[in-house]
Amino acid sequence: MNNCLGIINLSEIDTNFGVLCQSRPTSMLPFGGRYRIIDFMLSNMVNSGISGIGVFTGNKVRSVMDHLGSGKPWDLDRKLNGLFLFTPTYDYTSTYKRMGDLDLFYQNSNFIKFAKQEHLLLSKSYMLANIDLNDAYWDFVNSGADISLVYKRVTDDSFRYIGCDKIYLNDNGTFKSVGTNLGKEDTFNLSLEMYFMKKEVYFDILFEAIEQGSANFLKQAVFNLLHRYKVHTYQFDGYVACINNVRNYFDANFDILNPEIATELFFKNGQIFTKVKDEPSAYYKDNAHVKNAFVANGCQIDGTVENAILFRGVRVEKGAEIKNAIVMQKSVIRRGVTLNHVILDKRTRVEEGISLMGDHASPFVAGKQSVISKEAL
Amino acid sequence: MKEGKMIAMLLAGGQGSRLKLLTKDIAKPAVPFGGKYRIIDFPLSNCSNSGIFDVGILTQYKPYRLNSHIGIGGSWDLDRRIGGVRVLPPYTSEKGGRWYKGTANAIFENISYIDELDPEYVLILSGDHIYKMDYSKMLDFHEAKKAEVTISVIEVPWEETSRFGIINVDDTDTIVAFEEKPKNAKSNLASMGIYIFNWKTLRKYLVADEKDQNSSNDFGKDVIPKLNDDGKKLVAYRFDGYWKDVGTIRSYWEANMDLLSQDNTLNLYDRKWKIYTRNRHLPPHFVACNASVRNSLINEGCFIEGDVCHSVLFSEITIKPGAKIHNCVVLPGAVIEEDAVVYNAVIMENVVIKAGSSIGDAEDDNVYLISKSKIIES
Repeated sequence: MNNCLGIINLSEIDTNFGVLCQSRPTSMLPFGGRYRIIDFMLSNMVNSGISGIGVFTGNKVRSVMDHLGSGKPWDLDRKLNGLFLFTPTYDYTSTYKRMGDLDLFYQNSNFIKFAKQEHLLLSKSYMLANIDLNDAYWDFVNSGADISLVYKRVTDDSFRYIGCDKIYLNDNGTFKSVGTNLGKEDTFNLSLEMYFMKKEVYFDILFEAIEQGSANFLKQAVFNLLHRYKVHTYQFDGYVACINNVRNYFDANFDILNPEIATELFFKNGQIFTKVKDEPSAYYKDNAHVKNAFVANGCQIDGTVENAILFRGVRVEKGAEIKNAIVMQKSVIRRGVTLNHVILDKRTRVEEGISLMGDHASPFVAGKQSVISKEAL
Repeated sequence: MKEGKMIAMLLAGGQGSRLKLLTKDIAKPAVPFGGKYRIIDFPLSNCSNSGIFDVGILTQYKPYRLNSHIGIGGSWDLDRRIGGVRVLPPYTSEKGGRWYKGTANAIFENISYIDELDPEYVLILSGDHIYKMDYSKMLDFHEAKKAEVTISVIEVPWEETSRFGIINVDDTDTIVAFEEKPKNAKSNLASMGIYIFNWKTLRKYLVADEKDQNSSNDFGKDVIPKLNDDGKKLVAYRFDGYWKDVGTIRSYWEANMDLLSQDNTLNLYDRKWKIYTRNRHLPPHFVACNASVRNSLINEGCFIEGDVCHSVLFSEITIKPGAKIHNCVVLPGAVIEEDAVVYNAVIMENVVIKAGSSIGDAEDDNVYLISKSKIIES
């Protein structure tokens, strides 16, 4: 896949996550005990042999920079190709500024223009999957199409994918159109927002949209002009989690307690890489009572943990009881605390005697570095 | 010469033959320890944490695994533009090829490497020991004492003095005599195999030692006693933390078990002095509904459906339903099948314990080493 440049666009919806996305974009949400959402797309690309990846960071840059750094964990710290980060810029020369990400793609045209690769893979990060992009890429190249869209056929009777794009096909399986899912159909083709594209087609679309002022978002520009090109589709049939609101995020984390899903998501088409923390092994003490849990390194457990995801360096003191919870990095759960249906962000401290109860449909969420104590309540 | 500059030379060529099958294919410093590390990670992390960024690693015995573990030293932040890790294997010259004959000879053979770095001090380390130590404090001590050599020592129980190289000091901690594994020791200070030398002095003695036909070219036996005989100032630096030389299968097993004790003094969770190792990028471990895990260390990628008690599990280990592991050290990739029961064992990499089998007993005191081909008692 040397001939394909990867683009990950992180300007995603983050208003559905409350405090969890106060200082981070959706793509930086911690996931699965040690990862961030973006690790999956980055690792998919790297595992498929894409060696040049541009990340459009969106506005919450600090979190993105902190996590990605030089790109070393993904083997992207290289002289040839590697990781490129594109942050929003202030431009006082222009008399007006459009909403959306289109301007940013235009400002950074040169990156794509001067890259040696002839094909692009435009993607986002919130469709979580372990996907063999190599297969999808060659399917696109061999089809001779200008654009190829990746989709999954899904059945959704619980309105998980409201607002997502869907793809309509003709009876003979060829591409017909794209639309937005409002939940009227139970079964449809969910777009995974991964688009393979010839480079010249990308620039045609970008420049035309800018000149005519016909779109604010790159995706919008692409969809407006799809009718003009030869469009191909690629069906993915593995596990996909759509991280577009707290409920889906909560459920997706618990999906990995199903070993089949965990094996697929973490190993199927290659390992998932993330920033290394060098934590020692998890330490289970005498009173540890752990069932159905995903536990990361650096944890020290002396309490009861059931149906939970514990991130790196979490401490659970004696007598604490944690159920149906996502507890992020370096949080501390003191003696006698009871938690049920909660999400605790990084470095949360729950003091002695507190009990926090959420609900499956609406889990209790504590923001980063919260201290939850009797005094604070 | 940059004033006060210290480089480290890490002796990592030893076989550790008493570890038997554990070192059949790898050098002793590459032996896995503590759930996710290899023994060499301890001195390497100590160097990095102490601000020593020139580390020469002397390899000899079966170095393949060690070499790939060390790589360019990135895991320890030792992949540097200036300095960094250098792996120094024996080499050939116009006089032919030769092996490192002893610890001192290994350093002698690399005089040109050290000369190029031009340090004031050389820190000699062994890749065989497990401990956390700030070498910069030892250097401060060395400088304050204006010594030629500083040897790090630790108090050992009197009844164990016959196992160690014992150092006798006067009341200012200046070294007066050495006793190698003495029957009746006069002191209980054991040498930890950690030395700081003034490079100029050491260089002279290494050259002289090499010319001496009767020398065994060993620091402890030849070079340091010679320095002492010549009246150079040798001092002992007292260390009182955790230090362990895992020489045998039993002591290897015990050292791993030490980590499970609540009052264990080797704190791996101290974020100010982390021990680094090569990262394998595995997902967290999974503990299933019917599993039970108590008093254990579990590393990434494990899949546990059975009963794990008082054990150290490395990465990617599968414990099937009904299986029971007690007082075990399980190395990466092992599989314990349904209803198998194992007590007091070191289970080697990728070993499969067949369903229903039973090894060891809760009551007896034996420690078993389980490899793919056989089981050794000790």
